[in-house]
Amino acid sequence: MPPGPGWQYAHVALTRLVHQVREVGFGQRTSFADGVLTVSAEQARGLLADEALAAVELSWVSPGQSARIVKVLDAVEPRSKGPGGGGIFPGFVGPARPQGSGETHVLRGATVVTAGFLPRAQEALVDLSGPAAALSPLGATHNLVVEFTPAQGAQWERVDAALRRGALRLAAALAEASLDAAPDAVEELPSPSAGARGGDLPRIGVVTNLQTQGSFKDVFVYGRSFGAGLPTLLDPGELDDGAVVSGQFGHPALKNPTFMHQNHPVVDELRRRHGNDVEFAGLVICPEPVEQGAKELISLFAAKVCAAAGFDAAIVTKEGGGNADADVALKMDALVDLGIQPVGLYAEMAGVDGTGPSVVVAPERATAMVSTGNYDHVLHLPEMEKAYGGEQFALVKAPAAASFEVPTAVVYCALSPLGWGRIAARSG
Amino acid sequence: MARIVHYINQFFAGVGGEDSAGTGPLLLDGPSGPGRRLAELVAPEHEIVATVWCGDDVAADKVDEIVGLVRSADPDLVVAGPAFTSGRYGLACARVVAAAHQAGVASVASMHEDNPGLDEAGAAPVVASGEVARRMAPSLERLAAGIRRLLAGETLTAEDGRIGAAARLTVVTDDNAATRAVDLALARLGGDAAATEIPLPRFDRVTPAAPVADASTVMLALVSEGGLVVADNPDGLESARATKWLRYPLEDRDALAPGDYMSVHGGFSTAWANEDPHRILPLDAARELEAEGAIGGLLGEYFVTTGNGTSVANARRFGVEWAADLRRSGARAAILTAT
Repeated sequence: MPPGPGWQYAHVALTRLVHQVREVGFGQRTSFADGVLTVSAEQARGLLADEALAAVELSWVSPGQSARIVKVLDAVEPRSKGPGGGGIFPGFVGPARPQGSGETHVLRGATVVTAGFLPRAQEALVDLSGPAAALSPLGATHNLVVEFTPAQGAQWERVDAALRRGALRLAAALAEASLDAAPDAVEELPSPSAGARGGDLPRIGVVTNLQTQGSFKDVFVYGRSFGAGLPTLLDPGELDDGAVVSGQFGHPALKNPTFMHQNHPVVDELRRRHGNDVEFAGLVICPEPVEQGAKELISLFAAKVCAAAGFDAAIVTKEGGGNADADVALKMDALVDLGIQPVGLYAEMAGVDGTGPSVVVAPERATAMVSTGNYDHVLHLPEMEKAYGGEQFALVKAPAAASFEVPTAVVYCALSPLGWGRIAARSG
Repeated sequence: MARIVHYINQFFAGVGGEDSAGTGPLLLDGPSGPGRRLAELVAPEHEIVATVWCGDDVAADKVDEIVGLVRSADPDLVVAGPAFTSGRYGLACARVVAAAHQAGVASVASMHEDNPGLDEAGAAPVVASGEVARRMAPSLERLAAGIRRLLAGETLTAEDGRIGAAARLTVVTDDNAATRAVDLALARLGGDAAATEIPLPRFDRVTPAAPVADASTVMLALVSEGGLVVADNPDGLESARATKWLRYPLEDRDALAPGDYMSVHGGFSTAWANEDPHRILPLDAARELEAEGAIGGLLGEYFVTTGNGTSVANARRFGVEWAADLRRSGARAAILTAT
């Protein structure tokens, strides 16, 4: 018998033990006490050591500093479930086994960030002060920036894999230092549909597309590329435990780094409102293939999964530029056809003056769209005292710390397709 | 009495047709061409004090020069067109009024809503003209009415025949997009069938050109948005959000050797394109067809840009420029490889 509305996931909810990071630094050994995170650079370099990397350099870059990080790749929030990670980041740090229950320690306010050149990576920046700081989640966190020199002759794919593994190991090790500390907050997270259907509350879920378009534009689920996958239900707790890891370096403002999956804003919102005005119906993850036939299959299949899970409405999120608009549009139309109300999160590409057609591929039968801002809106960035990640900001061929004008498109997560941001485009 | 400066192209200035499309810009005293009728329609309150004209082929690149001439006549208002559906003329009119508007001079253009220049007018108003010059009289009447309203300090709306999208301006919101998305889902479920933050865009429907009757008699061009440039990208084509297109010679070349060409496209893995550049630009196949006599000839250069996050306005401009350029060079068919 197919599961209908009221179907329940068979697992317990996750508890997040949140440790607020207020101060950071380097020291003899890695420790966390009273909000102060100290990192042993030697230990960190050991965790990042790989034959594809000749050297790594570590720096703390904190909010309010006159600092800019360029060539930003992935960002990870430090988390651990126990000694050795306790299963965190399954498929990379822990074994590839389902996670998402029990307790997870979170170092909130800190990230591990990799920055430097990789092929196909589009130039991305984070400012820690000035007008762009508020546009990126990393503008408000203490960021442990990992810069690197590839080993001579190392294949770029190997360099990428080494950075990903190393950053996740480092993030797990930092959070491990908090295992014995008293948390600042204990967050009991409701699970989709746990308990009875909440009376007449509408069942709203989220469909999250992961951009899977080959090396340097890929997303990993339990350590494996999701490129050949089909849409599947994931427990949101699995996101918390790092089951989804980003290796996608295109479209800086429109990318979803690992940090953003760990803190998925639509999931957070549905958890917050679960039992109040909505019933959190579930999370469906989908690959974002390049080929039209595959896009259609994935979209029809995703709608089928949402119907099976009893969604009344689905928030559809994307990753990437105009190509990815097609994946959202196809899913929205497929959902409408099955009687499920879709809402698509779209970053607009309206041109510098905002007068261009702003959606590359719009749905035909579904029309509810939320704006995450205009990709082409120009920002004037002030000069910074120091830059990390590279000497140059390639897009404008200027020194990385210089003052320049850039489109919002280059600011890391500024137009977050997962709904993090507080900007929108409106018809003037 | 308000001072008006009118912008028109070489054809409407009476200078000539395609043969003169590379000339100008030039400043003339008083009204000229369609400006004579327009001057009558706005008189006696307002006066066309000067006309600036420029050839269609060069106008889009000489906007600064054109606006300089326009401003030398000290206008209270700049008017451009009507350009009907003429692409290059429309583009020039749109850019002139956009630049004038940005410089703080009131301005208005007139063109048909299918004119590819429409989206380049920026925040300057555009009023609808007819489709072809035969509709000059009613188009000028509507334009004159718009001019009167603008000079009275009013704003043009759809009732005045204003066309073009309202600008999408960036605002800061109280709630993040995730919260607004859940609110929107609840509004829709609650019966508000129209609720949305983004109006559905209006897309062009391009009617494909008629098939070439006899390919063996026409010159074929190869064009691409696949970002294929010569090694090391000396001209700096962007990997995304392209603002320009480039041309590279194909004369005396039978093949594109790996290493001599590379794709800078940021939207796909370029490994296979770089391994064999013909995967982006099929020069090898085109040369075979040429040798067989299946095509009349191959244009001696190719055009290329990057189609990755490129604004529609820029993409439309590239299309207008490519079409005009190909037509001039004698190409009558083109293969556009898309990636």
